[in-house]
Amino acid sequence: MSTTPTLTETPAALRPRRRLLRGLPWLVVRQHRTALACVLGIAVLGTLWIVYQRYEMVQLLDARGWPEKEVRYAVDDSRGYSYVHSLLNALPLVLAVFVGAPLIAGDRESGTAQLVTTQSVTRRQWLTAKLGFAYALALVCGLMLSAAFTWWWQPHRSLFFTKWVEGPIFDNTGPVLPALLLFMTAAGITIGVLLRRLVPAMAVALGFTAVSAYVWDEIRIRLGSTQMFTYPKDSDLPARFDEAYEVDRWVGNAQGELFGWGTCAEATEKAQNACIKEHGIINDVIEYLDYDQMAAMQWTAAGLLLAGTALLTGFVLWRVSRRPL
Amino acid sequence: MADTSTPNGTAGSWALEARGLGKRYFRGWALRDCSFRIPAGRICGLVGPNGAGKSTLLGLATRQVQRTTGELRVFGTPVDDPAVLPRFAFLGQEKPLFKRFTVADTLRMGAELNPGWDAAAAERIVRSGNVPAHARIGTLSGGQRTRVAFALAFGKRPDLLLLDEPMSDLDPLARDEMSTLLMAEAVERGTTVVMSSHMLTELEDMCDYLLVVAEGRIRMAGDADALVPAHTLVTGVTRDGALPAGLDRHTVVESRVQGRQFQAMIRPKGPLSADWESVEPSLEEVLLAHLRSPDAPSLYTQGARVDAEGTQAA
Repeated sequence: MSTTPTLTETPAALRPRRRLLRGLPWLVVRQHRTALACVLGIAVLGTLWIVYQRYEMVQLLDARGWPEKEVRYAVDDSRGYSYVHSLLNALPLVLAVFVGAPLIAGDRESGTAQLVTTQSVTRRQWLTAKLGFAYALALVCGLMLSAAFTWWWQPHRSLFFTKWVEGPIFDNTGPVLPALLLFMTAAGITIGVLLRRLVPAMAVALGFTAVSAYVWDEIRIRLGSTQMFTYPKDSDLPARFDEAYEVDRWVGNAQGELFGWGTCAEATEKAQNACIKEHGIINDVIEYLDYDQMAAMQWTAAGLLLAGTALLTGFVLWRVSRRPL
Repeated sequence: MADTSTPNGTAGSWALEARGLGKRYFRGWALRDCSFRIPAGRICGLVGPNGAGKSTLLGLATRQVQRTTGELRVFGTPVDDPAVLPRFAFLGQEKPLFKRFTVADTLRMGAELNPGWDAAAAERIVRSGNVPAHARIGTLSGGQRTRVAFALAFGKRPDLLLLDEPMSDLDPLARDEMSTLLMAEAVERGTTVVMSSHMLTELEDMCDYLLVVAEGRIRMAGDADALVPAHTLVTGVTRDGALPAGLDRHTVVESRVQGRQFQAMIRPKGPLSADWESVEPSLEEVLLAHLRSPDAPSLYTQGARVDAEGTQAA
């Protein structure tokens, strides 16, 4: 005991000269510094990894004379991309389960919510500091990774096997990733506030992440209105549709009537021709989402997610002011 | 009735003032229709059986529980007003602290979150217990942790210190040490202390004001010095196995019949019958009698009651 420094010996240690953070922000950062270091560390390493992957790919493509010469190269096959893909996929889960859910629930379970709110700060001030911390962390991670990944993907998108409308690209580029991370964090916090217990809150947040991924898959495709393009049967689709995402495919007759793609899929060629003749089918029709629609769809998605975040935040603030922690 | 030393004049001279205060949970009323006052500068004991509403009352005073009815003022300020926050400090049963913080971090938290932080006092309290500054809270013993919690509470320089069974999990040595610390700090600063406790002897030693709660209602409130002399313990002979009629003139808190004898805790209203033997009870006997019979009429000494000024007709 005598060798351990006591307050008498090291009064200076209690008053560091340089204080970047004060008051509640200091407390929240001090309390969550492990989570902060881990999540920020993951985000920074992930960003650097993406930058390195892009650099490596550009080197390779330059050597082969892309884009003047065609290069048979698919990003999706590389191991580097699969790491990026898993990291970006896991981040919403990490923020919901390990940052959002324990944020308030942990303090309620250990009683430290009571400790802080019986100092000279109100519940609302404390909650604001907590939410500010979590959202700032989500936003910084989202912006950093999204910027890096968009920078990689956008100019080289023809080399990515995954289509722009699919989750791994759509959710992880542009404004969608920061908004998605904010929403998942808010969802985790709300679950924690409602359940009050750490482990159940984390478990439910995990379940919520899985369910919301399915629901979001359904929503994503409906964010843009599909267009139709009709072209003569048995001809090739024009090249400008290379980047379009085909939602559905039809066959049509001269009157503009549409039939399902498999309408005349008969066993024999004879029967098939008879069917085509009977319906007067002369055209192929595709229902598609154009790449030009991506920006609008992404901003719509971000808007929806941010509105959800605002709604959940409002609910949490209202609930905590109505009934104490 | 004995004169009570109650402050008069400004509202701020009452540390805690409740009018018709009530709290209902889903399962029912935890606290109902409570009206009382605690003068500033006193050490007030909050007594009652488990589940009587003591913790609810302290929760209401520390803004941890939202009241259902009535009002509560801390030094004249409504408890909903954030201005009351710097004026009180609270030490709960579990004494929650951040387990991963060091002692120094914990005191810095006090400094960061409280405008009137008294670093010297907090450090003195920690130092006098030989608690290492760089030890994590999770590694400290129960007594050391309580000491840090006390340092955090006193460092806030509160005018009102609310304690919810602060000593319940301490060994006798640590308990003695903490009581001494509490009394010394409270007396030095003139801090009003409200502490709930099961230890009647502890209360008898430390408290000069009492608030007795049972079944969610106030049973007694007032000066410890005035509450006890208001009671008499009488022993006499029964009439046909029943209590004598003469007893009805007085307020009977509790009575027991044993064979041909009866014993009763009463609040006399006039001369007692010469047949009876009467003694002045101890504080413990009075408290136990009230706790055993929650239906007995409640007693407030002068000033302790809010709506009806002065002593309630007992």
